[in-house]
Amino acid sequence: MVNFKIISYDAVTIGEEFISDDYLIKPDDVETFAYAVDDYDPWYFEEGALGGPVAHPVMLGNQAIMLRHTKYIVPAGLHAKMDFEFVEPLRLGMRVRSYGKVVDKFEKRGRHYMVTAFETRDEDSGAVLVRGQFSQMVFPESGVHK
Amino acid sequence: MNKDKSSKPAVGEELPALKKIVTQRQVDAYSGVRPKSLHTDPEWAQEKGFKAPLAQALMSTAYISEMMVRYLGEGYIKGGKMSVSFTKPVFVGETLTVRGRIKSRAVEGEKTRVTVDISCENAKGELTLVGVASGIENTCKQ
Repeated sequence: MVNFKIISYDAVTIGEEFISDDYLIKPDDVETFAYAVDDYDPWYFEEGALGGPVAHPVMLGNQAIMLRHTKYIVPAGLHAKMDFEFVEPLRLGMRVRSYGKVVDKFEKRGRHYMVTAFETRDEDSGAVLVRGQFSQMVFPESGVHK
Repeated sequence: MNKDKSSKPAVGEELPALKKIVTQRQVDAYSGVRPKSLHTDPEWAQEKGFKAPLAQALMSTAYISEMMVRYLGEGYIKGGKMSVSFTKPVFVGETLTVRGRIKSRAVEGEKTRVTVDISCENAKGELTLVGVASGIENTCKQ
């Protein structure tokens, strides 16, 4: 059982690991994502050179950047940097999960940041689909920085 | 999905720009509606000092991907990379212009990786995202 605590700069430790819930890539989710970003490219809805409709490459970005929510209550957060590498296409019907590890934390101009490296993998094969790294601000418990 | 392989944009050339209008319903769909969310709870966003709910920064990476998939197709979906900084918040109701300019080409094994300088800017001309994206050229077999 997870004992959630409010995130703070002191609480986050370098080397700390996160694991997301698993997630089934469903046609409805691809449609919803297409609506959200207004991108209905045929790659996501028709057969193509990659052997069938694929999901948007960044569709699972939220699974990655929400990794810290698997351990912490995060009242607010701002996203500072994002790196992606799209290793293999995301395919409908895949059951995927993201794995993350805090690789750095630092203070810059009075604000606190944490850096998480992640991989999103196909749960069946173990293959890495997307990998990358992101930096997120860690707000003080009082709320946003003034 | 067919890409014209005969005309590669030269280094320094711009890709066709995209215009993206960010609506609350789209942000809701992207982020999932939650109370006490800077993205989907306007009252909470105001309480935290923002004039309107913020689009999730990650939404702009989808706009960049759209531009890169239009350009490279398969070579971005499998083998693409992106590295960006979010330099300014994007508020619900704003219109973003997504730009890309060919930065370089480099041999990568038997393939060519093309790197694009990318940015998003709001209607005031303020940059909200800067970075690079890349992918493999001429891999589309369709």
